[in-house]
Order: sequence, then structure tokens, then C-alpha cells
Amino acid sequence: MPIFRWGQAWDPYRDLEREVDRLLQGVNLSLHGVRFSRRFPQVNLLEQDDCFVLTAEIPGIDVSQLEVTMSSGFLTIKGTRLPPPEARDDTFRRQERFHGPWQRKIQLPDRINEDGMRADYKVGVLRVTLPKAQSTAVRQIKVNEGP
Amino acid sequence: MSESQDRKGPDASSSMIPIPGDQVADSPRLLFNPPIDIYETSDGLVLYADLPGVDSDGLDLQVHDNRLTLFGQVKADVSESSHLLHQEYHVGDFLRSFILSDEVDHDRIQAKLTNGVLRVELPRAARAKPRRIDVSDS
Repeated sequence: MPIFRWGQAWDPYRDLEREVDRLLQGVNLSLHGVRFSRRFPQVNLLEQDDCFVLTAEIPGIDVSQLEVTMSSGFLTIKGTRLPPPEARDDTFRRQERFHGPWQRKIQLPDRINEDGMRADYKVGVLRVTLPKAQSTAVRQIKVNEGP
Repeated sequence: MSESQDRKGPDASSSMIPIPGDQVADSPRLLFNPPIDIYETSDGLVLYADLPGVDSDGLDLQVHDNRLTLFGQVKADVSESSHLLHQEYHVGDFLRSFILSDEVDHDRIQAKLTNGVLRVELPRAARAKPRRIDVSDS
């Protein structure tokens, strides 16, 4: 199927159109698997009986550069990943790893007991444990009838 | 140094072997192509690879003939009572291999794993020094 089309293909342009199509199809237009376009870091959210667990793959971070905050139902993790030391832009032969400042903000599906939260960083994986808040008793709200 | 040709995909993504059902210890595992950086220094080449979840016990780094292969095994620590609400990454092992050029000194390759990042130093072999050959009179 042609990728490239003139609005109205006149006969003189048929050959050109075919040629451009051939060129475009020769280029791999697929962007699948391009790591750069992916969000960093990648996170998973798990639910257990009494808590939520957020895990994030953030290899190569100094714990002092890692910030985990919780505010009004949103968990925010942020930090900066430094490029390899002694590497300069013109010395890279291949550069696939993400570096630079990053931030992720995740809305949690339920209320959290904020006192019991804890975060661990081990072999490049951040794990934030968020205990669920005790569900409060259902409260009836009285409906007043207007005058 | 160049990428060896046995990679599964055309790029740095992953080759997926689906897991039937949940993660059982002996089930087929996912295998990923880890992202890497390679750069030159005055001593040779330095390679960085992101291997989140791999500790030094799970890492296997080999040089065979001219091929450097890194394999990182990830221990999944997911308890059985949990279920996924949101998933962006899959847990799996890491595999990638490279062809080393002749100028890399294989005997002096060093590697270090810190916080899920592998650093491999690939020093350049010392060039054979020019040697004067004495010619004796017969």
C-alpha cells in the first residue's frame, strides 16, 4: 500500500510517487523498541492484602540522589542519573542508557497509611511499600429537606 | 568492538519468551537485551550496562574466543498473594554479547557491578614496541 500520495496523482507524477514509496519503504519506519522514547524509570504497581507495592527499575542511582514523596494520593519519585564518569559526548561509541533528571508521579488507587510507608533500594530496583489505611466506618449523611 | 550478530531483534529492545501462567521457578523466562553505553578512554574502552535486579551472584560474564557475553539472572521477589495493578516492565534475565576487536587485552578485562549497573573495562593491548634486530657480520 502506498505510503506517499499526492493529493491528485497526475500521470507525470506516477513514476515519482512510486519511487518515493520505494524509498520510504526501504527505511525502517517502525519505532518499536526504541528505548529512548520510553519513560524512565519503568514502574510496576502491585497490590497485596494489606499494602500496595511500587517497584521501579532505576539502576545506577546514589540513594542520596533519590527522592520519594507522598502527597494527596500521589506518590512522586524523582532523581538524576549521571552519565558515566570520564565519558565525553565525542567519545561515545554507543549510547543507549538514559541519563539526566527524571520524575514519575503515580496516583494510588486507595488511601495510604502514610506513617507506615517505607522505601528500599537494592541492586538498582526501588521498592516502595505503602500500607493501606484502615477503612473508616461508613457514615450516614442526613439529608435535610428544604423549607 | 562490535555487536555480535546473534541478537534476536533489530534494536535494543527485547526478545520475549512468554511465560505461561505465573512465574514459576522452572518456567521459561523472559530474556532482555540490556541498554548499554560504550565509550573510549585513554586506556581503552569502557562498557556500561543496565541490569536492574541483578546481583553479583546472578551475573555471568564470559570471554570466549573474541566474544564477550554478559548474562544477568534476576531473582523475582514477588510474593504469591500480590497481583499487578499496573505494569510497565517485565521481570526477566539479561543477555547481550559483543565481538571484541583484537586491540582489547583479554587478560586485563575488569568488571564491577554497582546498584544494578555493570561497568566493564576493556583495556587496549600494549602495542608491540618496535625492536631493533641486530645484524651480525658473517
